[in-house]
Amino acid sequence: MTWNKPLPQPTPTSAPYWEGLKAHEVRIQQCDQGHWVFFPRIHCPVCASRELAWRKISGEGTLYTFTVARIPTMPEFTDEMPQILAVVKFDEGPHINTTIVGADPATLKVGQRVRPVFDDRPGTATLLRYTPVESAHPGVIDDAADAKVMPAAETVPAVAVRKIDIKNIDAVRALVSDSFSAWSPELAVTQELINEFAALSGDDYWIHTDPERSRKESPFGGTIAHGMLIQVLLGRLRIPQDYEITGFNNMVNYGSDRLRFPVPVPAGCRIHARSRVKSVEQVKSGVKLMMEINVHVVGQDDRPCAINDMIIMYM
Amino acid sequence: MGLSGQAALVGAAQYRPEKYSTAPQMFHLEQVADLTVRALADAGLELAEVDGLIVPAPQFHEATMFVPAMAGEYLGVALNYAEVVDLGGASSVAMAWRAAAAIEMGMCNTVVCAIPQRMAPFAPDEDMSEFMRASRYGGHSTRYGAPEAELDLPYGHMAQNTGYALIAQRYAATYDYDPAALARIAVAQRFNACHNPEAIFHGQPITVEDVLASRMVAEPLRVLEIVMPVAGGGAMVITRADRTRSIRHRAVKIIGCGEHVQSKSPTYAQDMLATPIGPASRRAFEMSGFKPADMHMAQIYDCYTITVLLTLEDAGFCPKGEGMRFLREHDLTFKGNFPMNTHGGQLSFGQAGLAGGMSQVIEAMQQIQGRAGERQLARHDLAYVSGTGGVMSEQGALILQGA
Repeated sequence: MTWNKPLPQPTPTSAPYWEGLKAHEVRIQQCDQGHWVFFPRIHCPVCASRELAWRKISGEGTLYTFTVARIPTMPEFTDEMPQILAVVKFDEGPHINTTIVGADPATLKVGQRVRPVFDDRPGTATLLRYTPVESAHPGVIDDAADAKVMPAAETVPAVAVRKIDIKNIDAVRALVSDSFSAWSPELAVTQELINEFAALSGDDYWIHTDPERSRKESPFGGTIAHGMLIQVLLGRLRIPQDYEITGFNNMVNYGSDRLRFPVPVPAGCRIHARSRVKSVEQVKSGVKLMMEINVHVVGQDDRPCAINDMIIMYM
Repeated sequence: MGLSGQAALVGAAQYRPEKYSTAPQMFHLEQVADLTVRALADAGLELAEVDGLIVPAPQFHEATMFVPAMAGEYLGVALNYAEVVDLGGASSVAMAWRAAAAIEMGMCNTVVCAIPQRMAPFAPDEDMSEFMRASRYGGHSTRYGAPEAELDLPYGHMAQNTGYALIAQRYAATYDYDPAALARIAVAQRFNACHNPEAIFHGQPITVEDVLASRMVAEPLRVLEIVMPVAGGGAMVITRADRTRSIRHRAVKIIGCGEHVQSKSPTYAQDMLATPIGPASRRAFEMSGFKPADMHMAQIYDCYTITVLLTLEDAGFCPKGEGMRFLREHDLTFKGNFPMNTHGGQLSFGQAGLAGGMSQVIEAMQQIQGRAGERQLARHDLAYVSGTGGVMSEQGALILQGA
């Protein structure tokens, strides 16, 4: 996975902190009067001493406060949705900005004990994340651990399936519902996938295919997938249905009444989909069934990135 | 020590808040000139009388250096006092007291404070990348060596929403937190905006239920508790109180001020809930000789509902931790027993960037002058005005009194 997010650029003053994290240790400064200093500085902000030494600390502390961001703070963080942003108070006193991993946001409590998690994935730097002390989350996140949280859409969750005959129009009409199905498995929208679609479709506009320029000039902070790609990927997002239509000779995609892409899908994030039957209409040539299919960026369950009111004609 | 009320707000002008997409584009120099000329006409003063100018440095389109000289030259005035103020949403309050202090010191006679916040047009071949970068990262520095670039951005700690949400969550864990009480702020201000034809949300009333059902942005903050950025801008004129016989409206004396800057990021504040508006307001009240209970109105910087709550507590309108009860027990509309943000506040009037807070100063001035139209208060001689920049980083307070 490519790291498309802002990375720390250590300064001569702060370098020992980042070197410590690479070694999976938390090192912060302490002045000769015993005051702990964070973030790294050239003086003690309490007593102005210039005599600072780097000390290894446990990194453990308490959750000073947190928030669950339901809209990505920057588009390139969409793959982490929802973001659990937190401030941790080291046992030594200073505060640090971080994110919480390996915890259900609903169970977090201000004041609870947390321990450090060293995130090696960015490659050039190790980031310091936190998890509740009692969490089973590993103390290190590396590329291998990352692979586990980025599944491909292969397996469909097993659900009990009812068979519904298309000629039983009342039974088909009974499928119309305001509530959506369960989610499909998740699929990662990689830059490679976007590039392949650009080559295939001929749409190689830079906001899709040029990460460097997009980082500088695009309002999305990086490349985004083509809306049409997301719509095409529906074929790979197998949405679990608790029914199966039977008794027809032919089934065709009749087109869409509505196709919208309300939310950008940045490269590198995961998507999943769900659907509902929106309407059923008996026409001369058969039955027109309209499915509302919504694709969402994982973690943004309140806002779809693609909406497709797709009409299937059963004949 | 302090101000003695020798300087007064006498006139102002502001652009009606508009969506960026439909607002006119103007160079910032043109906006400063346009707003200044209109504010002077409002006051009844001549351009040649201006000898002080305060403008914002950040986000000034045509230059990042020598901005007051360039703007003064464009206006056609010679300046005895020229300054930039870089205090975010606290800038307007900060400009007002600086102008008053300069006048009381005898440095100058008439000061214009102007903040242009409409977009400037881009040159056909202009490189957009710097602009895109600035607009994406807002008030966050992404430059090498800035602590936030190094220690916040890699974790996605970014922009104001989550910063204020972190403060709100800490408040919730420490004191009583009642989303319905906080929603009353947004609802009352929307009511006020429905009596202000200039407000961006004029004619769109909301209920507590609407606020509580609105989209969650960063827990516990919902979208109707958060300002909408708009294009706009404002200017105000401050002059010597003894020269005000020639002016058109009642002089509004600046009798108290305070300012406190605590940290850039609330993360590094020792106590996230002890906000800078506390020391700033205490100084302002002490200087004025009045107490919070003496005020006839409060125009409180409201980028978020939680900002208002913390200001009410730390400025001394209610004891710490009892803000929710205060909100439940008061009617915050212009018809109520605690008139607050009578123009609709930034939540419902609209937040025009750094000029957002100036709408609060201007509303206080117009209320004291008796020019607030349908929403005019019966008691309108004393006003408390606050400004907030960053994430509770830099705050200021003014006490204004009608002459």
